[in-house]
Amino acid sequence: MKSSGGGDLPGFTRRFRRRRGASAAVIYLFALVVVTLLRSMIANALPVVASSGTSISFPAFSGQTRPSYPWRFSIPAPIPFSPTDVHLGERLQPPGESHWLGTDELGRDVLARMIHGSAVSLAVGFISALLALFVGSAIGGLAGYYGGGVDWTISRVIEIVVCFPFLFIVLAVVSIFEPSLITIIGALGLSSWPMEARLVRGEMLRLRDMDFAESARASGATSSRVLVRHLLPNALAPVLALVAFGVGSAILAESALSFLGLGVALPTPSWGGLLASAEDYLGHAWWLALFPGLAIFATVVACNVVGDALREALDPKSA
Amino acid sequence: MAELLVRRLFHALITLAGITLLVFLLIHAAPGDPISYFIGKSEHGLTPETIAAIRKAHHLDDPLTVQYLHWARAALSLDFGQSFIDRRPVIDRILERLPNTVLLMLTAMLAAIAVGLPAGVLSAARPRSAFDRIVELIALGMFSLPSFWVALLLLDLFAVKWQILPLYGISGDNYASLPPAAQFLDRIRHMILPVIVLTYGQFAVFTRFSRAALLEVRGQDFVTVARAKGASETRVLLGHTLRNALVPLITLVGLSIPFLLSGSVIVETIFSWNGMGRLFYDSVMARDYPTIMGLTVLTAMVTLCAYLATDVLYSLVDPRIRLVGERK
Repeated sequence: MKSSGGGDLPGFTRRFRRRRGASAAVIYLFALVVVTLLRSMIANALPVVASSGTSISFPAFSGQTRPSYPWRFSIPAPIPFSPTDVHLGERLQPPGESHWLGTDELGRDVLARMIHGSAVSLAVGFISALLALFVGSAIGGLAGYYGGGVDWTISRVIEIVVCFPFLFIVLAVVSIFEPSLITIIGALGLSSWPMEARLVRGEMLRLRDMDFAESARASGATSSRVLVRHLLPNALAPVLALVAFGVGSAILAESALSFLGLGVALPTPSWGGLLASAEDYLGHAWWLALFPGLAIFATVVACNVVGDALREALDPKSA
Repeated sequence: MAELLVRRLFHALITLAGITLLVFLLIHAAPGDPISYFIGKSEHGLTPETIAAIRKAHHLDDPLTVQYLHWARAALSLDFGQSFIDRRPVIDRILERLPNTVLLMLTAMLAAIAVGLPAGVLSAARPRSAFDRIVELIALGMFSLPSFWVALLLLDLFAVKWQILPLYGISGDNYASLPPAAQFLDRIRHMILPVIVLTYGQFAVFTRFSRAALLEVRGQDFVTVARAKGASETRVLLGHTLRNALVPLITLVGLSIPFLLSGSVIVETIFSWNGMGRLFYDSVMARDYPTIMGLTVLTAMVTLCAYLATDVLYSLVDPRIRLVGERK
């Protein structure tokens, strides 16, 4: 039997790691998520731990402003710059000892801005890919399981959605509703579910007549129970690879939107937003354009490598 | 065959209705009174009578189904209303930009095929060789590169630092005063960077696809027969395998049209290329809803036509599909 997701974990792991770079990609993505979650501890002008002599405080977490008296004792953050602090005396400095990746037109540390900007990029990437997975497998599952009129109708709906060029429908939605985090995640997720739906539908068609589904039905399970408890879990394994690709393309799409000035408006822009402000300093400050772009590139490559490895590991025949 | 065609056309008509319905619902899902869709934000200076007249002209007081039928009929005859910007019909503004976009997309597609197809063929000739692996690596990298970033870096190097290619636009300032040969050269110079940025993402798709198609055909009996009859490896590859592997490529050309259309929004915006993508971006920034929705419907229609054409072409070329269609 092909659906190998849960049953054959050692085999799955072995095939997954056979793909060059797959392990490195997983480690990179994991590290990125950790850095993003701990961003206020890693890049912050305020110390992580400080003591005034009588009590210990954690200014990086509490956001407490620096008191007028000096701290008796403090541990600074590894990157002791806040992403939003303006230092006009340090404008457009190239990468160097104090600012590893340079500063922007207002003297803000580029690395600190990238570390804080990853939150939007990753949130949009992961949540909209999961939304596409949820919607796609629900709709594809219904189509494949019930067949007939349901399948016909859903197939027509999918044909309609795939006709819209991605950026056109996403920008049209964003222009009608204001570009907030929810609008962008919704627009990206709701325009990319057809791939997942088609795959789940195909898996369903294959699985629904197999013995284990028959026996579940014979032992009295309702059709919705067979669909949700027995068939969907088996159909989802092949879709996992699509989700990895989906995260990558959602991160790309979000950065494109932010670059075009239609992203989420926040004090710390996402990676695409950082690139947008780099456009004005072409030829003067290469570091502004290089590093945020590299971050997007590395993350999307990692997602695609993981997707490739998942596809090969879940379906040994295709490898 | 005829039955297959009729079914495909019938589905296309449903899809067409769906496209107009989806955009119609989008307009009406917008917060606020839908009248702002037709007159922009300048509602304040209008008398109640004028507003009532506009509501009547656009059937805004009719039931939603009636409103949809009016909107769909207009959209299908390519009447998307007037732009907020200059009060000209939206379709006129789109059509005058269309040739520039077609030029860019066509060149990009030909370039992607011209580079991607040989790379895929050579990879498939020796699977798992060093060449194959390098091409795969490059393809993966190109597939993951954000196009606007590549555009920025290319501009930084070629247009700002070395100043050998123009920064933006379709032609130079002195274009009109140049002799024809220099005019041609000027246009080419302006196209190089936008075409590269629009192409490189497609390169990966064409390489991977042609490699996979070739490998699949290679394993089939008629190729073994050709080899057994003493045909040289090159002859087997180019004469027998490639010809059959090219058939699925038709599909790929059709599928790449929506991607190129999306890409044109980014590329045309960065390079100030005066085409449909740039028009779309400008309209989004100016909240020019009739133009935004007109372009959304129109590009979806173009994609639908591309899908339909590839489906029909594919079934004409590949008899297996034709037979399956007839058996049903």
